[in-house]
Amino acid sequence: MLKYLKERGPSGARLPLILCPGCGAGQVLNYTLHAVDKIIHEDGIRKEDLAFISGVGCSARLTSHYLNFDSAWTLHGRALAIATGALLANPELKVIVFTGDGDVAAIGGNHFIHACRRNINVTILCVNNGLYGMTGGQVAPTTPAGIETTTTPYGNVEAEFDLCKLAQTAGATYIARWTTAHPRQTIKSITKAIRKKGAAFVEILSQCPVHNKTSPVEMLHNLKKNTVSIKKTKQSEKGKIRIGEFCDITRPEWTAKYQHIIDQYSR
Amino acid sequence: MTHPQEKHFLKPGVHYLQGSQACAEGAIMAGCRVYAGYPITPASEIMEHAALRFPKVGGRFIQMEDEISSASVLLGASWAGAKAMTATSSPGFSLMQEVISFAIMTETPLVIVDVQRPGPGQGYITTSQEDVMQARWGHHGEGSIIALSPSSVQEMFEFTIEAFNLAEHWRSPVLLMAEETVAHMRERVRVPSQRQIKIINRKKPQDLGITPEQYLPYGHDTIPPMANWGEGYNVNHVSLVHYADGKITQYNPEMHFENVRRVQQKIENNISKIARLEAKFIEGCRHLVICYGSVSRTAIEAVIEAREEYGIDIGYLKLITLWPFPEEQLRKVVKKVDTIFVPEMNLGMMKHPITEALRDRCKKIIAIPSLGNLHAPEDILDSICKELK
Repeated sequence: MLKYLKERGPSGARLPLILCPGCGAGQVLNYTLHAVDKIIHEDGIRKEDLAFISGVGCSARLTSHYLNFDSAWTLHGRALAIATGALLANPELKVIVFTGDGDVAAIGGNHFIHACRRNINVTILCVNNGLYGMTGGQVAPTTPAGIETTTTPYGNVEAEFDLCKLAQTAGATYIARWTTAHPRQTIKSITKAIRKKGAAFVEILSQCPVHNKTSPVEMLHNLKKNTVSIKKTKQSEKGKIRIGEFCDITRPEWTAKYQHIIDQYSR
Repeated sequence: MTHPQEKHFLKPGVHYLQGSQACAEGAIMAGCRVYAGYPITPASEIMEHAALRFPKVGGRFIQMEDEISSASVLLGASWAGAKAMTATSSPGFSLMQEVISFAIMTETPLVIVDVQRPGPGQGYITTSQEDVMQARWGHHGEGSIIALSPSSVQEMFEFTIEAFNLAEHWRSPVLLMAEETVAHMRERVRVPSQRQIKIINRKKPQDLGITPEQYLPYGHDTIPPMANWGEGYNVNHVSLVHYADGKITQYNPEMHFENVRRVQQKIENNISKIARLEAKFIEGCRHLVICYGSVSRTAIEAVIEAREEYGIDIGYLKLITLWPFPEEQLRKVVKKVDTIFVPEMNLGMMKHPITEALRDRCKKIIAIPSLGNLHAPEDILDSICKELK
């Protein structure tokens, strides 16, 4: 995997990752690079055809300067709009967006909905740790009700967002949810998401040991304990989060549809 | 990119166009192939014309969900190798400041057209020059910007091309500070043949013999060469203060200063190469009108009448480039005058840098303000006569 990373540059060492020990974002990077490696080897995709874009937050740090790919660490919430621009300029690119729950569901919520609606050819990988980690553990749209955070000192009065349901309603064509404790399943879903011609969304529930003041190992155990596969039950088990592949459909992709207009009117 | 469909370009010769159409046509001529926008009066005609025209020349048009995402599209498009633009009006321009700041720091070539309308707030939907300070100072943080001010449909066409050339050359966002007046005006436009139009494209590391292994996305030169995505250069764009290779850890104040100072000085140290102004009746004149944009159309009428009917020795100066402010050029042509009149469709904004540049070269600087309405020649003439007669 190291060939996909910039261990060092002319200005010195870049690794290790800036992320806190035990953070799940590094696992997500690992799973993503496994999927990318598979795609490069099996699909004849060139390394230079891939571009990684992120917004702002812990997850966004993955593209800050570690990747040995075309990449950009961009504006909070705007990664999907920027990805849309890259695809308008070059529809042959495979664009992968790293985002977090605050980045994609709060400040970037509108761009998320519309990227799904347009079914633009982008892979959206959301590292969901249920809070704002980089800024000190504030409440997020994905924080469960009742939870105490630095900005909900008396408990969260709001309901949490189900991002997979949101993506499905908005029109994404591949949707899955796993956790950092499910490496093989996550790698498989990310591979499918990159191969999907259209908006593909993979949510990876992740641990923030620092702000939850819990050990990483215990948090990973909890991620396994508190989730249930949609294959096992149609109904959501009380208190458990459903994980699995929610959607895998085909619908015309934006740049492919627009290409018909170009072909017809540029003659 | 799809190969440009040149047969769909505007034919050389004389056309009768709206300013908004001329702007979109200028963009096509400059090589712009990605347009993203969000509707707003009085700028929507530019995006409507782009929607009609871009696919014909192999380009792509998209209507985004807001102005923030419209401007954001330009970033990704530019990195992936396209020339890209958006157009908006003042409230939308406020929303785009985030991207402008980011584009300055990442040195991303892109063009934003602001068809100014009055503010603050929703203000009104007529004409205005109230964003000229926002153009320079609206984004957070240091850095400089290039902003042009068109005064005619011809200039909407020509300055849009120039905006792309400047963006590509200086690796910078460029603003075309239009007004409702010039965007909705219909006039004759002379379109030269393609061979006569100068087009500048970004300098690339490939052209300089720099290999992917040697490439520094923010290094090599004051204006760093820019590799497009997909070319194997592993470019990483980053807006945190960075080293020349894009590394962002091991912060130190020297790296910070060097990074941000270079981004600002690549513009500010080259004002004589970037900025332009236009002068008439300027040689030894006793008084002076300094103006820009559509106001210059009525100001020149007022100056001619003041000279011919009232015998006032008054000159005319039009700023083509608002930012970087052409201070040196101004001081080269204005040696000693009595009174400087500054008619603007605001309460006196560009009067500030004009005062800073010329306070020792004149006795008095007088603003001639107008809000939401283009000055009639008589408005300017009356102010001149009131002061001088």
